[in-house]
Amino acid sequence: MKKKILATLLSVAMVATLVAGCGETAEAPAPAPAEEAPAADEAAPAEDAPAADEAAPAEEAAPAEAQANPDTNDKLVGTPFEGVTANDAYNFAMDVKSFQSTYWQAAVQGMEMAAAELGVTYDAHGPNSESDIADQVNMINADINAKPAGIGLAACDTTAVLDSLQAAKDAGIPVVCFDTGVANAPDGSVVATVATDNTAAGAVAAEEMYAALKDTIANASAPVRIGEVNQDATALNIQQRGLGFINKMTELIKADGKSVAVVGNEFYVNACDDKGDEKTADVIIEVAVPAQTTVELSTTEASSILSKDDVIGIFGSNQVTAEGLLAADDNLGKLGSDVAAGDVIGAGFDAGSVIKAAVESGQLYGAVTQSPLMMGYYAIYALTKAANGDTVADYPTGGYWYNAATMNDAEIAPNLYD
Amino acid sequence: MKKLFKEQKFIVLIVAIVLYVIFALLSKEFRRYTTIIQMLDFAYYVVLMAIGVTFPLITGGVDLSIGTGMICYALVGGFMIRNYHWPVVLAMLLSVLFGLVIGILNGTLVSVMGLPPFLATLCTCMITRGLGTLLVNKQAVPWPTNKVPEGWFHSIFKLTIGRATKIPTGLIPIAIIVIIMMFVLNHTRVGRYTIAIGSNREATRLSGVNVRIYHIAAYAICGLFAGLASIAYAAATPTVQPGTGAGLELDAIGAAIVGGVSAAGGVGSIEGTVIGVLFIQILKIGLPFIGLEANWQQIILGLILIGAVLVDVIKKRKEAAL
Repeated sequence: MKKKILATLLSVAMVATLVAGCGETAEAPAPAPAEEAPAADEAAPAEDAPAADEAAPAEEAAPAEAQANPDTNDKLVGTPFEGVTANDAYNFAMDVKSFQSTYWQAAVQGMEMAAAELGVTYDAHGPNSESDIADQVNMINADINAKPAGIGLAACDTTAVLDSLQAAKDAGIPVVCFDTGVANAPDGSVVATVATDNTAAGAVAAEEMYAALKDTIANASAPVRIGEVNQDATALNIQQRGLGFINKMTELIKADGKSVAVVGNEFYVNACDDKGDEKTADVIIEVAVPAQTTVELSTTEASSILSKDDVIGIFGSNQVTAEGLLAADDNLGKLGSDVAAGDVIGAGFDAGSVIKAAVESGQLYGAVTQSPLMMGYYAIYALTKAANGDTVADYPTGGYWYNAATMNDAEIAPNLYD
Repeated sequence: MKKLFKEQKFIVLIVAIVLYVIFALLSKEFRRYTTIIQMLDFAYYVVLMAIGVTFPLITGGVDLSIGTGMICYALVGGFMIRNYHWPVVLAMLLSVLFGLVIGILNGTLVSVMGLPPFLATLCTCMITRGLGTLLVNKQAVPWPTNKVPEGWFHSIFKLTIGRATKIPTGLIPIAIIVIIMMFVLNHTRVGRYTIAIGSNREATRLSGVNVRIYHIAAYAICGLFAGLASIAYAAATPTVQPGTGAGLELDAIGAAIVGGVSAAGGVGSIEGTVIGVLFIQILKIGLPFIGLEANWQQIILGLILIGAVLVDVIKKRKEAAL
């Protein structure tokens, strides 16, 4: 009996070494059970991080006009926050979704910049993870009891916070939502929302791509094709990005006297401003949506577009689909930044180490990032304005285009998570 | 010769070839070598999962945890490489070992505790999904890309020379694994008892076989192959996303059933399963190329599976009538 089991294990081990491919099997795998090792390690940083972040800004954020970056005033020009100063040394409570990812660390960085400029202070709180909804609600309620001059909120769950918003309103504390809006907030509780305008973010990608492709389109003797891969046709932010890109691209191409047709996924074809006529169009915008949100299916959709001979540009409207473009290009080798050499221009969205590496190497012409940094920055300004007793309007932040040359800029780099 | 034509796997192979020709005629992009390479890139992990799941299916059970499990193992391996700078070989071993552990757990739940396979593996499906996400702190995990030296493992499946030349080296290890597993299923006790358990577990037990151990072994093999699949998955995709993987098991299970594994157990072959994967991959990769919207792929796949199971049921009925 034992022999049989031994034989089974042996054959199993043989197969394993085959795939492992090199004779290093002598090295025994880690002694600890596989599940336990990472779990233990994970606990530590998750707890440390918020504590460190909370302590630092509250102490450091002393009024420091002199420290203000000379460029920072540019960020306020043309915004409703131009010329805003704090009437008092306010203290705000900022509730982020967690400190887990670099995304939220960037938001805190933005808050710090604004607080330093205005001479206000803030305390940032966040649960261990974005799914700890109850923890966040407790933190908001604790903030309300502490009576800050205002509360900045990025809600983990937009329905769970409704009671707290009512309580804040009753206590007379203005709330500014950032990153995520709360659609059903009690009237008058949320004074402003600072969140990404996805339509504008999609349009940014179209503008940058068109600038690169303008000559190719103008000189083309036959119809050319621009592809777009969207993760789905159901989530509002993806719809807005996808349509933002299509409508802006259409507008730019038409302005230069060429005609456009939109083909592919029915939702996007029917929802765009002008779907045109495929038979006569100079430029065809082809939209693909995978059946499921997996890199694999995004890749298949991307390569069915990218392998066409007339394709000149392609846009992946979120991290998964942008990575799908890259996986497809791994086999096709068409993407690049040199239009004159016949490279297809690829544009992505968001960050992550794979997309960042592709932008750096020029495989992707560039990508659009959301700016948690600017959201944190404007949220503090909006709170200050509200604490001053002025009315504040919603402020949408745009998407920020980055490429190999600009990705290390001070305003871009903190937004690019790994 | 006549017998050959009655074999389901042979018919499926013919249909797969016909399907390929149709797609190739309809789309000139589909005809390209790069499309074949892409099809293979995304076939390796399905093949590995499908070979593994063939064993529980033959016992009359199923393993629903292979899809989310595969993602979980790939996440953990990649996490160790990125955050603890483990050598890639070690991370690969960890992924495979993790798969084996979950496989043995599934087997124990089904064979010793007597849980229905559907429920037991649905539970481990949920567990691996949550666990994978938790272990990596909810962040997407990239394995080393094929542009850096640590990315050597990509070459197991695809050798890239320069920008344009790709050689599907993955066919060699996969072919070796297929031959080994054909031998295991047909000529070793593990394989034959797997078939015997699927035909009649009680009779097998009464004939003096320790069915508990062999029943566990079937699930252990399945877990091991989900672990191997996680390496192939990491090689094919740029990053492994936590929370994904649900649904991937259906491609593998579907492939095995299309390839002639009986849904009632007791019948099945490794070569049939491989042909099933070939068929499903052609369909999955081909449909977008002929401009059919993605959701149609799922509908068509579902209809084909109903067909395959029906063929099986009708066959069984005919046999019973004789």
